[in-house]
Amino acid sequence: MTDFLLYLTNGLVMGIIYALFALGVALIVGIMNVVNFAHGELYVLAGYFSALFASALGMHPALAMIMATLCVFVVGLIVERTLIRPTYGNEMYSLIVTFILSIVLQNGYLLIFGPYPRKPPNLVTGATNVFSLFMYGNQRLLGFALALVMIVCFFALIRYTWFGRVVRSVSIDRDMASLMGVNPQRVNLLAFGLGCALAGAAGVILTPIFPVTPTIGVGVSLTAFVVVVLGGMGSFAGCVVGGILLGVMENLGAAYISSAYKQLFGFIILISALFLRPAGLFGRKRA
Amino acid sequence: MEVITANTKKPLTVVGIVVLALFAAFPLFLGQYWLHTAIVGLFYVMMASSWNLLAGYTGQVSFAHAAFAGVGAYTSGILAAKAGLPPLLGLPIGIAVAAVLGLALGSLCIRMGGIYLSLTTLGFSEILRIIVTNEYEITRGTMGLKTPPLFGEYSKTVSFYVLLAAALLILWLIRRILNSDLGASFRAVQNDETAAASLGIPVVRVRILAFVIAGAMAGFAGSLYGHYLMLITPHILSLDLMFLVLAMTVIGGMGTFIGPIVGALFLETLSEYIRVYGEYHILIFGLVALAVARFAPQGLVGLWRQFRSAV
Repeated sequence: MTDFLLYLTNGLVMGIIYALFALGVALIVGIMNVVNFAHGELYVLAGYFSALFASALGMHPALAMIMATLCVFVVGLIVERTLIRPTYGNEMYSLIVTFILSIVLQNGYLLIFGPYPRKPPNLVTGATNVFSLFMYGNQRLLGFALALVMIVCFFALIRYTWFGRVVRSVSIDRDMASLMGVNPQRVNLLAFGLGCALAGAAGVILTPIFPVTPTIGVGVSLTAFVVVVLGGMGSFAGCVVGGILLGVMENLGAAYISSAYKQLFGFIILISALFLRPAGLFGRKRA
Repeated sequence: MEVITANTKKPLTVVGIVVLALFAAFPLFLGQYWLHTAIVGLFYVMMASSWNLLAGYTGQVSFAHAAFAGVGAYTSGILAAKAGLPPLLGLPIGIAVAAVLGLALGSLCIRMGGIYLSLTTLGFSEILRIIVTNEYEITRGTMGLKTPPLFGEYSKTVSFYVLLAAALLILWLIRRILNSDLGASFRAVQNDETAAASLGIPVVRVRILAFVIAGAMAGFAGSLYGHYLMLITPHILSLDLMFLVLAMTVIGGMGTFIGPIVGALFLETLSEYIRVYGEYHILIFGLVALAVARFAPQGLVGLWRQFRSAV
């Protein structure tokens, strides 16, 4: 029973972080109808940045985390401006471009940082006795809390701010929103940057626990796609539910069925969800 | 989109025959190393051309093409290594299994379009890769499966001619398809499914057929390649290989007949030159592909056509 609760906790912690980076994909899909294949590579980039800032520049780990996320935000803006903008209206083309970008980034990281795992310093150390049942790493508990706070902030941003209102209006009806004076190009730019920053935030939270290597981002991207499809493309609340669901299922599946096939569960969910709801679990119809 | 007019066709045929004759004479003056490069290049010509048939002509950007090559390679490889079946018999079985999986995946994707189709094919490809990597007993996982050569003793020269004949067969088939009614249906489906359906084109059948044909061709290429290498690893169905196929097609020119051929041969040759400077060739491919996708979406073929019409 204790084991089961431990797996469940693990699933919950991972699930919330899955939800955090999947929200980035959901935001970009909802606004721009672009699936960013390089999402995981931006997560990796944030990990490298935060390790670099903390160890090479001697920043406080918390400051390094914030700086790294901001840097990834800026990178996202640059990518949108230079690579994604010319593909507007051609979703296949943006797919191909971001797929190539992800390979370029992976090999770029390999060239710059080498194949060795990198890891920013922990913010906290030690472990806490959870419910007086099992010891659980403080860094993981902190990661869980941070991710939860970020998600709450994101929802507040979407719900209560001007930016959020614009985002929601564009994702409902792009043309109408632009008639109402919304600048769609600027919304795309900001949404893409923010989406990447969410990957970055998840990256800085998770890399002290799971060190980054150049190719680890592939798994992150794929996980994000599974969560987004599972929760309903473009639906933010669905993303959180989908993330937790996947986190829990993966960890229970790995514990009780087969750890080698951990990733397989996600893909089976992905394909069955897409098959059963072919228009996407979208929340809105596509032309 | 490619338009062939009567007066451009003749010189192209001549150029084609000259290039082919030169190519066929390769074993006479190329060393073993460059012969290997040529063989790998021919494999990529088959892969890129058949992927282009699916993605460039029907607009279904599938990420499972490398997976189909893997299916072909592993099917005939396992049959030969475990059951002792002659590779020449395993080859058609490999093609058939790839075609059946193409049928399954194509039918699964039929109600989806765009990014959903791509995500589904991506999921399919990763499922296969995970299974092949983990089923060590059957596939020998990342250690690689040893397979016999296609027939007789191992010989690079024979392999070269086999691959050359296979590539020509594939290209001839693709050419035939593109110039037939089916090719016209492919393009119609890509441009506008609704309009195509209104003209009486069986959209569903056309889309699935494209998957089956492309899958069978990839299975054929993969199976031959596996028996040439005599060692099959899960790399053949990885996204890395998928990326190479995609980059070659994009750089050469997606949606053109010549583009993937040019792209595959160009990139494979280039990678041999870059390899001298270390393992950066994928990075450089990526940067080139990114630049081409950004500034010349029609690829090298598009650039050449612009140049010709400007002169």
